[in-house]
Amino acid sequence: MHRAHRHLRILHIQLMPAARRRAFNEAVSLAPAEDQIAAPISGSRGITRRQALAAAVATGVGVGVVRLLGGSMQQIAAPHAATSTDWISPLGSESARVMQLLRRTTFGYTQPQLEAALSDGFNKTVDRLLETKPAEPPVLAAASTPGGLFAVNLLQQWWIDHMLASATPFAERMTLFLHGHFTSDYRKVADDTFMYWQNLTWRRMALTNLRSMLMAVTTDPAMLRYLDLATSTGQSPNENYSRELMELFTMGAGNYTEDDVRESAKALAGWTVPQPDSYATVVVDKATNVTRRLPVYSSQKTGVFNARRAYKGSVTYLGRSGQIDTQGVIDQILAQPATAVLIASKVAQHFVTARPATTYVNGLADTFRRSKYDMKTLMRAVLTSPEFVADQGYRSLVKSPIEVMVHAARALGTTSPSTSKLIAGAGSGMGQSVFDPPDVNGWPNNESWISSNTVVERVNYVTGALAQVKGQLPPSSDAIHQHLDGVLSPQTASLLNQAADERGRWFIALASPEFQLK
Amino acid sequence: MNKELGINQLKRRDFLKAGLVFGAGASGLAAGYAAVPDAFARAVYAAKKGGLANDNILVMIQLAGGNDGLRTLVPLADPALHDLRPKLAGPMVSQALPLNNQYGLNHNLGGIKGLWDKGKVAIVQGVGYPNPTFSHFESIRIWETGDPTRRQVDGWLGRTLATSYDSNGHPLTGCACGATDAPGALRDLQATLTVIQNQKTFGFTGGTEVEAAVGALYKGTPGIYGALFDTAIATATETMATLRTSASSYQPMADYSDKVKLVYSSKNQLAAALQLAAELIVTGTGVKLLHVTLGGFDTHYTELNRHDDLMGYLDSAVSAFYQDLAAHNMADKVLIATWSEFGRRPKENASGGTDHGAAAPLLLIGDPVQGGLYGAEPSLTTLDSTGNLKYAVDFRSVYQEILSGHLGADAAKILGTTFDKVPFLKAPVAV
Repeated sequence: MHRAHRHLRILHIQLMPAARRRAFNEAVSLAPAEDQIAAPISGSRGITRRQALAAAVATGVGVGVVRLLGGSMQQIAAPHAATSTDWISPLGSESARVMQLLRRTTFGYTQPQLEAALSDGFNKTVDRLLETKPAEPPVLAAASTPGGLFAVNLLQQWWIDHMLASATPFAERMTLFLHGHFTSDYRKVADDTFMYWQNLTWRRMALTNLRSMLMAVTTDPAMLRYLDLATSTGQSPNENYSRELMELFTMGAGNYTEDDVRESAKALAGWTVPQPDSYATVVVDKATNVTRRLPVYSSQKTGVFNARRAYKGSVTYLGRSGQIDTQGVIDQILAQPATAVLIASKVAQHFVTARPATTYVNGLADTFRRSKYDMKTLMRAVLTSPEFVADQGYRSLVKSPIEVMVHAARALGTTSPSTSKLIAGAGSGMGQSVFDPPDVNGWPNNESWISSNTVVERVNYVTGALAQVKGQLPPSSDAIHQHLDGVLSPQTASLLNQAADERGRWFIALASPEFQLK
Repeated sequence: MNKELGINQLKRRDFLKAGLVFGAGASGLAAGYAAVPDAFARAVYAAKKGGLANDNILVMIQLAGGNDGLRTLVPLADPALHDLRPKLAGPMVSQALPLNNQYGLNHNLGGIKGLWDKGKVAIVQGVGYPNPTFSHFESIRIWETGDPTRRQVDGWLGRTLATSYDSNGHPLTGCACGATDAPGALRDLQATLTVIQNQKTFGFTGGTEVEAAVGALYKGTPGIYGALFDTAIATATETMATLRTSASSYQPMADYSDKVKLVYSSKNQLAAALQLAAELIVTGTGVKLLHVTLGGFDTHYTELNRHDDLMGYLDSAVSAFYQDLAAHNMADKVLIATWSEFGRRPKENASGGTDHGAAAPLLLIGDPVQGGLYGAEPSLTTLDSTGNLKYAVDFRSVYQEILSGHLGADAAKILGTTFDKVPFLKAPVAV
C-alpha cells in the first residue's frame, strides 16, 4: 500500500494516559515512530517546532497547539496554558503539502479525491491541476431568458453546483479569483445572461495569456456595462473603464497619471454590447400588463466595435503618441513593469500568503513577464515555489466564505441542490455573494473576512449544512486529519473530546478556527 | 527555506522574547489597514482610566462611490452649470428645494429640507483635501484614516475609540451597522468594535448551547489571525447579550421603510441600519461611534434617476432616524454626518453621468448643529487642472469640529495637528 494511505489510516484520535499529557509540552521526541514514517521531519520543520517549544518554555507559556501524533498517543491533550503562539506546521510531510495544495487550489475534496492526490504526490498533482482541461459547467437553461431577466440566485446556484460537483475544481477557483479581480456585479449589469457569459469566458481564459485575456475582459458584454465602456464615445468619453483597467486590473494606482486616464478613455471608446439575434415582447409586470421589448441572443457573443463612436484623433498614452486602439492600450499596459507585479502580487496574496515579500513577488513577476504573460506559467511558478509550502505560511490565509462553505459541503458529502441554495443564501452575511461583489475592487481577503458578524454566520452555516445531512456522516476522525491536518488548538482538541457524538464532532471540526484557514 | 517569508516568525519571536504573546495584528497585518482589535488590546483597556464623560453620540453615513455634490446642494443661479451639464442641469435646478436664492437641496431631500427649516442642518461646502486622488480606494482610505499622505493605517474613529474611550467590556462603543466587515474609519489595532449586518438574524442558530460551545472553541487560537477570530467571537457574544436586552425594550417611533427602489450597488439597507443604530442609542447600550453605509453613488451613467433615487433613499432613512431619536428624547445627543470619498466631475460625460471628481459638500444633521451654510462653494468656471472643483475646506476641519466640539475628544492628538475651525455646532463642548 502507498505510504500516504497508511498515513491516513494510522492517524486516529485515541486516548492518551493522563501521565503523558504533561510531557506532551516538553519534548518533541514523544512523537511515536509512526509519525516519523508518515511525516518525516524535514530540517526546516524541525527548526520551527523547536523554536516554538523553546520560546514557549522560556516564557513559561505552553505551546498553544496540539499536533495529533497518532499511534500510541492516547488522547487529544490540551496543554495547561492556552496562550496562543503559532500553529505547528506539518508541511514537512508530503501528505500535508498535498492537502494544503488542494485546500488552496480547489474547493476541498472527497476522500477518494484526496487519496488520488496523495497517491500522485505533490508535483504530479500540480501538473494535473494545471494541465487538465477545465470541465465546462452544464448549460444554464435560464440564460436564454429574453433580456437576461431571470433571478440571480439561479445563476449563483448554477455556479455553486458546479463548484460542488466539478472534476476540475481548480478551474472554479481560478474563475472565482478572476471574478474578484476582473469583477462585475449583476445589479449594474442588469442582464444575468451577460453575467453568465462572463463566468464562462473567465473559466475558459483563466490559464491563458494576459494579453488576450485583457482583450476578452475589455469586450466582455457584462464588463462593457459594468464599467460603462458601452456608453462611452470618443467625443465625450466615460473614464470608468479606463481608470479601473489601470488601477485595479493591471498596473495599480501611482503608475499612471490622470492624463493617461483621460487619454485611454478616448482610445478605448467605441465598444458597444452585441446586437441581439432578435427581440421578444415580454410582460414584465403582470399586475399592470406592462410589456417590454427585450433582446434575445441565440449564442454567446462579445462586444462590437463601432468606429463611428470611436475617437478620431491621436492620443498620448503612457508615453506613446499616435492613433492608439484598444489593442494598443493593452500593449502599452503590458509594456509597464508594474502590470506583472500587480498580477503576481494578487496571485501570491490569494494563493500563498497574505503579505508576500517583495523579492518573492518580483521574482514571480519576472517569470510572468518572461513568459510573455502566460498565466499557466505564473501559476506553476507560484505552486512550485518554496514559499507555497513554507512552514511560515502554514494557515496564513483565511478561506473566503464561498471556499469555506463549498469545502465543508464536499467534506460532508452534501452536494444536492439544497446545499447550493444554502450556500448562495448564506454568503451575504459572511460578505461574499457570487456575481454581487461589494465594489469594483472585488472581494477583500484574509483579515477582512473576520468580523463579529461574519464569524457568527460562518458557524451558522455549519449548523445549516449539518442539518442537511439526513443519513450517516463520514467518520469525523478522518475529517480531523484530512481537513484539519491533525493540527489543533487545545480548545478544538478538548471540545472534540467532549462532543457527544459524530454530529457534535463534525460541528466542532467545521466551525473551528482551523477549518477557516488554508 | 526562503528567508524572506520569515516576517511572521521574527515578529513572533520578538514578542515572545519580550514576554508577550501577541496573537494577531501587528505581525502580519500591518501592510494595509490596521487589524480589528485583539485580546492584547483588551488587556490594555483594562488598565486604562475611564473614557470621556461626555455622552454625545456620532453617526457617520458613508455615501460610497463618490456623491455628486452639485446634485446634492444645487447651485441654482450659476449659468455655468448648464454649460457643464447640458443633459443633467435642467431638472436638477428646476426641481430643487431652494434654501436661499443661490442654493437648493436635491428635490428628493424633502425631509432633510424640513430639518433645515428648523435649523438642524449644517452644510459645509467645498470639502476636500490637497492633491486629490481620483481612485475610489485611495480616496476612501484618505478619508477613513484622515491622512492624505497615506501613512496612517488606523481609522480616525478607530483612533478616537482607542485614545478616548474605555470600551473594555463594552463592544458596542464602536459599531458598524448594516455591514459585514469593519469599515476602515473604525479600525484600530487597539479599538474594540462590533459589526452587525442585521439585528434580526444576528445570533447563533441553535441558541445558547451553540454560543457556549463556540465561545469555548475560540479561545487562545494560535496563529496570526487567532486573536482576530477570538475577539470577533467574544465581541459577537457580548453584543448578542446586549441586543437581547435592547431589542425587548425598544419601540421604533418612526416609519423606517426600505421599500424605496434600490439603485444598483446600494445593497446596503440604510434605513434598517439606522433603525438598528436608533435601537442601540435609545436603549443605552453605550454606543458612541456608529458607522453606516449607503452605496451606489458611482454614477458614471444615467445619473439622473439613479442619483435622485439615492437622495430619496438617504432622505427617508435619515428623516425616520431623526424622528425616532427625537421621540425618544435622544436627538440632542446625536450628530449625524455624511461623508463620501469625492464629489463628481462638474462636466457630464456621454453616458449621461459624471466621472470621479474632487470637492463636495457634507451634511451635518441633528439638534447639536447650528444650521446654515459653511465653507465656500467652489467656482464652476475656475476648475483645477483636471477639470474638477477646488476645495475650500479640508475634510479634517470637519473631523476636528466633530471630535473636539461634539465628542469632547483631543482632536489634535487624533488628527495629528490642528485645522481651520468650521463652527457648525450650536454649543461646542469645552475641551
